[in-house]
Amino acid sequence: MTQTTHDPIAPDAGDSRRPRLRTGPLSGVKVADFCWMGVGAVATRLLADFGAEVIKIENRKRLDTPRRLPIYKGEVRSYGDEDPNPDPDKGGLFNNYSRNKLGITVDMADPRGRELVLDLIEHCGIVTENFAPGVMERWGLTYPELRKIRDDVIFARMSGYGHTGPQAHYRSYGPVVQAVSGLSFNSGLPGREPSGWGLSYMDNQAAYYNSAGLLLAIYHRMLTGEGTEVDVSAVEAGVGLLGADLLDTLVNDRPSRREDFPRGNRLEHPECAPHGVYPARGEDEWVAIAVFTDEEWKALCAVMDHPAWAQDPRFATAAGRVAHHDELDGHVASWTADRDKHQTMHDLQAIGVIAGAVQNSRDLSEVDAQIAARGTFFELDHPVIGAAQFEGFPAQMSESSPDNWRSAPLLGEDNAYVFGELLGRDADTLARLAEEGVI
Amino acid sequence: MGAAQVTVGTSPVQELTVVELAQSPAGEQTGKLLADLGAHVVKVEPPGGVASRRTGPFVAGHDDADHSLEFWAYNSSKDSVVLDAASEEARAELAAVLSSADVLIVEDPEWLGAFGIDLEGLRSARPDLVVVSITPFGLTGPWKDYRTSDLVALAAGGMLNSCGYDDHSIPPIRPGGNQGFQLGASFAWCALLLALIERRQTGRGQLVDVSVHEANAVSGELANPYWFYPKALVKRQTCRHAQPEPTQPALFECADGKHVYFALILSEQKAWNSLLTWMDDLGMAADLVDPAYQEVAHRQRAFGHVQELIEVFFLIQDSETVYHEGQRRGLPIGRLNAFEDLVHDEHLQERGFFLDMPAPDGSLHPYPGLPYRFTAFETVPGAPPRLGEHETESGESHA
Repeated sequence: MTQTTHDPIAPDAGDSRRPRLRTGPLSGVKVADFCWMGVGAVATRLLADFGAEVIKIENRKRLDTPRRLPIYKGEVRSYGDEDPNPDPDKGGLFNNYSRNKLGITVDMADPRGRELVLDLIEHCGIVTENFAPGVMERWGLTYPELRKIRDDVIFARMSGYGHTGPQAHYRSYGPVVQAVSGLSFNSGLPGREPSGWGLSYMDNQAAYYNSAGLLLAIYHRMLTGEGTEVDVSAVEAGVGLLGADLLDTLVNDRPSRREDFPRGNRLEHPECAPHGVYPARGEDEWVAIAVFTDEEWKALCAVMDHPAWAQDPRFATAAGRVAHHDELDGHVASWTADRDKHQTMHDLQAIGVIAGAVQNSRDLSEVDAQIAARGTFFELDHPVIGAAQFEGFPAQMSESSPDNWRSAPLLGEDNAYVFGELLGRDADTLARLAEEGVI
Repeated sequence: MGAAQVTVGTSPVQELTVVELAQSPAGEQTGKLLADLGAHVVKVEPPGGVASRRTGPFVAGHDDADHSLEFWAYNSSKDSVVLDAASEEARAELAAVLSSADVLIVEDPEWLGAFGIDLEGLRSARPDLVVVSITPFGLTGPWKDYRTSDLVALAAGGMLNSCGYDDHSIPPIRPGGNQGFQLGASFAWCALLLALIERRQTGRGQLVDVSVHEANAVSGELANPYWFYPKALVKRQTCRHAQPEPTQPALFECADGKHVYFALILSEQKAWNSLLTWMDDLGMAADLVDPAYQEVAHRQRAFGHVQELIEVFFLIQDSETVYHEGQRRGLPIGRLNAFEDLVHDEHLQERGFFLDMPAPDGSLHPYPGLPYRFTAFETVPGAPPRLGEHETESGESHA
């Protein structure tokens, strides 16, 4: 064990990026984190937010994709339009996914790198990964092997299909998981191709289930002292999110490939109308309105100032409104079209009609008074990127606040702290390992 | 019937007693996630049952409170106890159950208020209780009294802005299955586990104030980073990522009329060659075998032509073949499965994902199992309860 040059947990206002003792319910929890891309990184981000020391293990020869994706300040490029030689510290998506984590670089193909990682695993006692199936096996890092390093180890595995079964090796990312689990087919207008999802919803949702799996494993170890492997399948998480429409097929044998499914923005249950997304003032601006009861319908009519068409007896009951939904939508749209989407939302909500502006990210960031009041988004500085906004935890907890202490690590930023101060390698050794590309 | 069975080891939540006052998918799913892992979840229902019991679809021919599939979807493994807030006896029963509960899940504090219980009073009487409140916008803030639905949650939270068709005369389209509520449930579940961990260390419970709106607002993947960094707004595109600029279609129709999702990233040489070999094996590569296409820049210039050939290539094969053969060749292709496809999926079958869930009449139906597997413990979810099927320890359920 080499002598450390400074106390790693001493408060040091001059260097706010120095690792320090973390606060929160997971303070003291340490994670050797192989996660990358979105689904893994978002899963371990929650642990880092709440005080765990999440040590992100990276390889300089194979940069984490969010480090390469061109989401840069002052430079608009689409996802696929990558810079061939990106600055690994400039990517906004990486900053977003890996805030509050420590970052180290190590080449697992080198025996000296592997030895460092085995030491780190022993030090941490929790290992997380979302590689393609087979990678951890090739490194000999299976649950039985990890238990030889530390009997109470927690090994969290996150993949598209789970680690058993004939398709365990299939390649996937969010949109593939959404397709295979039924979540894309589920979404769209009847009689057209599915509109599916405009994002990797299942990268996020599977990540949240991965976080929960990890928290369950940590809680279990606190109660019993026993570790566990946890294997999460994103496809299975997706199927579990399909809800009653899936059961309608499984229990009632009602095919989902049918003329009136999916339903676009309408509901079959409960029977209600108007229920849809209506144009608002401006280009491609919209407002969602959901009227479930006759009282809400009357309230909507009052806000619209009781137009003549609304007196039509065909619209007096839910059944009548549903039967004439197309015509009703036309009338409602003619009322919403010249109005500001937020104004419509506020006017309707004020008298108990459920409505919401279709907000874009600028609205969330600059217009949404609720998000501003609750501090959902927060800001952290970054040495390369500068100040940036982050998506915070969407709940307020009276005892367990998030500890947002640092933006994402620069590539290899915490090598000296982790390999030196935590694992006891001396400065000369680290300099040599760095020079030879091991770290 | 009823409670989840712990079949291996000890589930970390099996000793917990949870009281649930919820009737939307957000709160109900949170209770289900606990119940399916063996927690004792007491679902409090008013006479006649919660709203989800009255929401279809129903089991064919049984339009009643015990046969709502909307209810079944989010309420497996729970106990159902009917408590009428107007009854003195029922109010005492709820107070008694809460006095020994570990967790309270509540969607509407006014419902609790009707039983003569206010959150602050409860928390000071029970500082070790974990209270998970799941509301449309949160318990504080200027929009705290606004109401929501799944569509409105997705709209206000920004998700809907990314979803729909290339044709922007069509409004944004809501993805199906109550996903706006599900996002609230996922964060409630994580927050609840954090609170249990905190309680284990300090002995203190807490109030967890989950906002469905915020849960949506932080889950848009690229949309917010595109605003936070380049100040760009993403635009919805049919069944693929919303982006600042239009990108090529990724949804392909196959010979059987079904679709596959495949996003060809032109800069990935390995994927390009894999696709090219596949097309060539079927005699469909046409001029793409020209060595000029080995250059990314050439592929990018000829992109429209490449896309057309791929469209035809997929259109002559059925979706099942495209999916499995593409994956065999290492390409991340996914078939857009419909619900009826899922129970026949070989992989899900081999993993035993679908459970045989008993219905009230004893018949068995496939039901999705748990998405996580632990070596240390295993549980098997139990059936959703009939209305008022259970009693509290101190009293009777009045169905």
